Amino acid sequence: MGWIFVLLASACEITGGIGLHYFSQRRTLRNGLVYFGGLGVSLALLYPSFQYLPVSVAYAVWTGIGTAGIVIVNMMFFGESKNGLRLASLTAIIIGVVGLKAMGS
Amino acid sequence: MNKAWVYVILTSLSELVWIYGFNTASAWWHWMLIIIFLVCDLHFLAKACETLPTGTVYAIFAATGTVGTAVMDVFMFDQSLGLGKLGFIVLIIAGVIGLKLTDDKKDEEQSKGAV
Repeated sequence: MGWIFVLLASACEITGGIGLHYFSQRRTLRNGLVYFGGLGVSLALLYPSFQYLPVSVAYAVWTGIGTAGIVIVNMMFFGESKNGLRLASLTAIIIGVVGLKAMGS
Repeated sequence: MNKAWVYVILTSLSELVWIYGFNTASAWWHWMLIIIFLVCDLHFLAKACETLPTGTVYAIFAATGTVGTAVMDVFMFDQSLGLGKLGFIVLIIAGVIGLKLTDDKKDEEQSKGAV
């Protein structure tokens, strides 16, 4: 059950990231709603997962999927650079963030 | 330095302020401040994405929140910073520097193209 919340929360985070892309290009009410709403609903869904999973595990998986997803969506659909150094840097950040969150507080 | 990187720094700073507030808030006006910083944070995040790639900005945004929380735990809430955590922090910093370098390279190409 906890994993369902984490996966739904990650999906909403990715949606929020898509909203962020559109909102930064055109400040419309709809884009703003996808951006703020996506990230807001994501946190609201992550919170109940803490009842089923350790907080550090839930956090790590959520940021990992969310951040990687936003990076991949932006590369696939919005033509962001696939330059080698950029890919290596993004991978380093995502591994670092997941690792640090998994070690928990 | 590209102006967009100033927004990256601003979004990172405001993110750290509201995360700190979230951990320590005890009065209703603390929560008002947290909401104000949260709104500023999301505003600067979108401003940074106007010129920098969203993937780059969001990865750095996630990185700042994570590293910031870990560092706050060490200095304010007396947690230990092990070798493992330190290693991941170094990895994240290397990644952020790498992203900054790829952005600089792109600027050079563009200015060459303009000439």
